Amino acid sequence: MSYESPIREPLVNGGKTYADVTRDILRPMENKASKGWWIGFTVSAIVLGIWIAASTYTFLTGLGVWGLNKTVGWAFDITNFVFWVGIGHAGTLISAVLLLFRQKWRMSINRSAEAMTIFAVLCAASFILSHMGRPWVAYWPIPLPNAFGTLWVNFNSPLVWDVFAISTYFSVSLVFWYIGLIPDIATTRDRAIGFRKTIYNFLSMGWNGSTRTWHRYEMISLILAGISTPLVFSVHSIVSMDFATSLVPGWHTTIFPPYFVAGAIFSGFGMVLTLLVIGRVVLKQEEYITMGHLDAMCRVVMLTGTMVGLAYITEFFVAAYSGVEYEQYAFINRASGPYWWSYWIMMGCNLIAPQVFWTKWARSTPWFIFVMSIIVNIGMWFERFVIIVTSLHRDFLPSSWTMYTPTLTEFMILFGSFGLFFTLYFLFIRYLPTINMAEVKSIIPTHSHDDHGSHAHAEKGETVHG
Amino acid sequence: MLLGVYDNPDATLNVTKSLKEKGYDVYDVYTPFAIHNLDRVLGVKRSRLSTAAFCFAMTGLVSAISLQSFTSYFDWPMLIGGKPFLHIPTYIPITFELSILFTAFGMVGSFFVVNKMFWGRNTDIIDLRVTDDRFVIAVNVHDGKTDVNELSNIFKKGGALEVRERINEL
Repeated sequence: MSYESPIREPLVNGGKTYADVTRDILRPMENKASKGWWIGFTVSAIVLGIWIAASTYTFLTGLGVWGLNKTVGWAFDITNFVFWVGIGHAGTLISAVLLLFRQKWRMSINRSAEAMTIFAVLCAASFILSHMGRPWVAYWPIPLPNAFGTLWVNFNSPLVWDVFAISTYFSVSLVFWYIGLIPDIATTRDRAIGFRKTIYNFLSMGWNGSTRTWHRYEMISLILAGISTPLVFSVHSIVSMDFATSLVPGWHTTIFPPYFVAGAIFSGFGMVLTLLVIGRVVLKQEEYITMGHLDAMCRVVMLTGTMVGLAYITEFFVAAYSGVEYEQYAFINRASGPYWWSYWIMMGCNLIAPQVFWTKWARSTPWFIFVMSIIVNIGMWFERFVIIVTSLHRDFLPSSWTMYTPTLTEFMILFGSFGLFFTLYFLFIRYLPTINMAEVKSIIPTHSHDDHGSHAHAEKGETVHG
Repeated sequence: MLLGVYDNPDATLNVTKSLKEKGYDVYDVYTPFAIHNLDRVLGVKRSRLSTAAFCFAMTGLVSAISLQSFTSYFDWPMLIGGKPFLHIPTYIPITFELSILFTAFGMVGSFFVVNKMFWGRNTDIIDLRVTDDRFVIAVNVHDGKTDVNELSNIFKKGGALEVRERINEL
């Protein structure tokens, strides 16, 4: 069905047949869980336990267990929230934006990236809940008729926009992900027996592969991609407006929406790389997630890293050029004040470090990509920390200048949120196909089926990844 | 009903095309992935899901604007920071989000309805391998009208791995 120019690197190596794709991708689900999976899952579950313990302690005691004070009212909570939401965005970008641009390399990575989106947004939502302090009244920002004589929410507030944006984003991503999963769940169903068959049969909603269904399926995928693309941009723009619409120097900048979106792509691709560089080896999917995929993602990381770096410098320039001394001080304080180290971690990790991806070696060395992806994650976490804490801790009134020091509980919640994320991710790789089989099958050259094993692609694949 | 089972999407497409040209009553083609152009060859009408999407988007848009203007202008106007009660620009983000939310859920709901898909539906699948690596062309056989031998010859000539009968419709 699909023709590939011999000049281009194949998207899938190893001269796979359709049956090979099914077998390879379902292998981690159909076999007994490997020792590695159990170790990973157990460790994640323990870390999740830390999250549960620290969150419960916070909820039972109150926000006083955090290091917040009257000057710094947002710190780790919102840093972590923006960090996780940003990570989530790569999933939508890979599946929706790359679908609109007809980038076929997305097909091996979109499923796991979308799963990452959903789990990351869950982590982010948990910080929204916990930063409210009283999570049992977390429904207050929703415009519901209530016991106060129907006092409605303030629709002028970006915090209310955020509630709508994040919940829309979560539910639309979930639906998009599930729609993409249905044909693959059907494949799983038709190979399963017993109880597993019952479960996958339930989830497959009676998918039978009819051309009429495929026709509608293609259309709905395209429309969902079409609406997800502006959605993902709007969501992170709205997140940035939580800051940008305020009057705090360092937050009150019109560059925030595009700069946050670029940062989200950057951190999201960083996290996708972290997961896939490991995942492709552990799940034996090197032939599907090829070096070409890693290379493409490294380029995206480099581009978006440079974009956020440009934004940092632009902010400085605008502050200097504005002639507003509060604005100027906020930025001087960022780079040379008491939190200078966090600013320079951010600059080093986000602007300077990704420049190594100009070299072919860096883009084609998995262990190095993995290290870089961790650096990107650290840098993007610090970006949010810098924006939030350094802008707040020295406000307009020097008498209320103060320092913020996180407590152990806050560290435990941050650390524990990775447990939440990875526990869900490990469950995902065990119970759902991690690569979109139907899409991958559609990009395999038909001829590789006829002369399996003797085709040039197969030989090339073996020599590169043997 | 006569089924031709193939292992190659190009062959499937070509055979379907020639069957359609010769006027056979092709019931449906079952494939493990979407084959480009096959829907056109089969004469599947362009789905109206995109129109539905637009209607759902408009529903979301109207609901969002009504909700926001009703609550903050008609029902309980509240002075916050001296801002106007009916302040359309600040309604844009929520209006946008709700339009998308309504579109996504409305579309997916309609998709399930038109395909008669629901959780727990028992699948009567034409061939178990059709979700793996086989392509099945199903042609309705009308007693007396359809030449079964010729049909199965076309199937075989096109590269069918097997040709078999099936009584029940799917």
